[in-house]
Amino acid sequence: MRWVRPVSARVAETPDVLGSKAHGLVLLHRLGLPVPAGFVVTTPACREFLRTGSFPTGLAEELRAATADLETRTGRRFGGGDRPLAVSVRSGAGVSMPGMMSTVLNLGLTTEATAALAAETGDPRFATASRRRLLSSFASALTGTDVDIPPADTPPANTGAAIPDAAADQLTLAVRTVFSSWNTPRARTYRRLHGIADDLGTAAIVQTMVFGNRDGRSGTGVAFSRDPNTGENVPFGDVLFERQGEDVVSGRAPTLPLRALADREPAVWAGLLDALRRIEDHYRDACYVEFTFQAGELWFLQVRPGRFTGAATVRVATDLADEGVLTRGEALLRVSPHHLEHARTLRIVAAPDVDVLTRGVGACPGVAAGRIATTADAAVRMAADGPVVLVRPETSPHDMRGLAAATGVLTARGGPASHAAVVARTMGKPAVVGAVDLTVDDTSIRVGGRTLGEGTTITIDGTSGEVALGRPRAATGAAGAHLHRLLAWADDASGDRSARGEAQRLRDAHAALRRD
Amino acid sequence: MTRPIETGIDLLVLHTLRCCGYCGVARVAAATALDEPTVESELIDLAVAGHVTRLSGAWGLTESGRAEDARRITDELETAGARPAVTAGYERFLELNPELLDLCTAWQLRTVDGVPTVNKHDDPSYDARVLDLFADLDRRLAPVCGELSAVLPRFARYPARLTEALGRATAGELGRVTDDTASYHTVWAELHEDLLATLGIPR
Repeated sequence: MRWVRPVSARVAETPDVLGSKAHGLVLLHRLGLPVPAGFVVTTPACREFLRTGSFPTGLAEELRAATADLETRTGRRFGGGDRPLAVSVRSGAGVSMPGMMSTVLNLGLTTEATAALAAETGDPRFATASRRRLLSSFASALTGTDVDIPPADTPPANTGAAIPDAAADQLTLAVRTVFSSWNTPRARTYRRLHGIADDLGTAAIVQTMVFGNRDGRSGTGVAFSRDPNTGENVPFGDVLFERQGEDVVSGRAPTLPLRALADREPAVWAGLLDALRRIEDHYRDACYVEFTFQAGELWFLQVRPGRFTGAATVRVATDLADEGVLTRGEALLRVSPHHLEHARTLRIVAAPDVDVLTRGVGACPGVAAGRIATTADAAVRMAADGPVVLVRPETSPHDMRGLAAATGVLTARGGPASHAAVVARTMGKPAVVGAVDLTVDDTSIRVGGRTLGEGTTITIDGTSGEVALGRPRAATGAAGAHLHRLLAWADDASGDRSARGEAQRLRDAHAALRRD
Repeated sequence: MTRPIETGIDLLVLHTLRCCGYCGVARVAAATALDEPTVESELIDLAVAGHVTRLSGAWGLTESGRAEDARRITDELETAGARPAVTAGYERFLELNPELLDLCTAWQLRTVDGVPTVNKHDDPSYDARVLDLFADLDRRLAPVCGELSAVLPRFARYPARLTEALGRATAGELGRVTDDTASYHTVWAELHEDLLATLGIPR
């Protein structure tokens, strides 16, 4: 085939052709980890589509053949039959960027296939819910906006986006939508901003669905092989039972800590730990995975290196050197001097007079004290007069400027891998998420039975998850042992032991290592 | 059939408070292109009518002022036959809005060695690149504002203020991008709020 590749261990092409997501899936196959059967429409097909405005010659036939192949491998039929095949379609560029279509789930659940799925599983509620997710995720992809899943068994409100009811047409439209989304103005702006070439194009990944919403022994989650806050060598992440797809990442639903799997699905837990170890061995670095389990069976959907920041990077690099995975020189080169700026962590000092309002999940270490702002706009406005803490039910990309203006962020929903947590970490801002006791109203918040107006000063501790009234004392603990050791190695590498700043010591080491 | 309507100055002042939240006379004057004594005199009349109130130096709407604004601004919209045009404008605005947020973020943060770091504005070439992209976005917003002002002339203040903010930022007033109350981001947010208020869409 010219434009399409099966996702398998035998595919040899680079991320330029496959996109980085599909390339990650190939890696998972090579490591012998379970990945739902699928294929990838490569970036050359996208480039050709963008150049001419239509599918390149042969692509339509290749899509049919690849789909037929999936049907054979799964023993299911796309769009109908007694055992319907449903797939997900995801964009997969070399670099992910805002403005591009992300994911359509449950593609192929036509009216007929939904009825078949209900009959096959004996669970009409599951089948209808899955079809609804198809309609809403497809409508979101077509319109480039969030289209909510309606609560009742009704199709989403008319979005002006017509979703065909034939499975093959759905697939064609989804792939076209992925390709076209490469050129949304927002994606173009992002590329110009970050110096990414405009002519790379994106791949589209088509994969057999596994249903995290199938039953009580199903679910979905994200996991880091180590704690991204501290770098500690313990698996870390979120899991949601009986849910699908983006629910974990969006923070839309209250997640459970990853360890909840150990009790409820020990085999899934064991499989996950084993996989994280194998992936780490391959990357020689902490890693991140997205996974789904259906009826107790574990599947991996995405993998990448962990990309930690601050103190966590320092700890992972030193630990990996201690474990003999990296040389000390390699460990030093893993840490950018910019990481050191975030490496020392403040904590609220425990004292009897600290008025703790509630406890959430510490999602990014550090202490932030500031006045409550309940919207991004308020945060931006109020930040002109001093520090603010942005308090939101959850965050979306629309809160970015509020997050940027705030000194810290507190959310009622979401786990440590929610949008708020990820963004806060990348900005090095203290964050507490999933404070379930917290309600955010228009211009006030309710917590611990008290109502606090916008402007009230609170303090959050992104390590412990504590939220305190006022401005209790905060202090740094003993400087991290890991940082000390790393900097000692840095001096060994540079041969310079004069008194100077930490970042400089690291820069000198980098210079010496790169000379060698 | 649309008939452009010039908004009366009392409604203009009232509606500016609706879109900006609490603010001082100078900011209302800048937003409306009225002079400060005129604004102040309108505010006093509106206060007598119970529609606005003054809190620690800033003016804002009362509940009745909010209701009055909603009633009159809807009336203006329907009288002008402007709902289809404003709805269309709002939809086009929403397509541009995420990009504005991306650009504001890029202005505030930049990735160095893979680490997102506060933009200290010590690299003029980076700032210039971001400002170029703001200018590009501003050019694409211009026709949207043009169509809005064709049916409701009060919308013409937005492109004027946005272009001014960008011009000043380019001339070195860096606070005019995201930080101060006359920044590009602030004016953009007011336009967003105005579209919601005009169409009666809750946040």
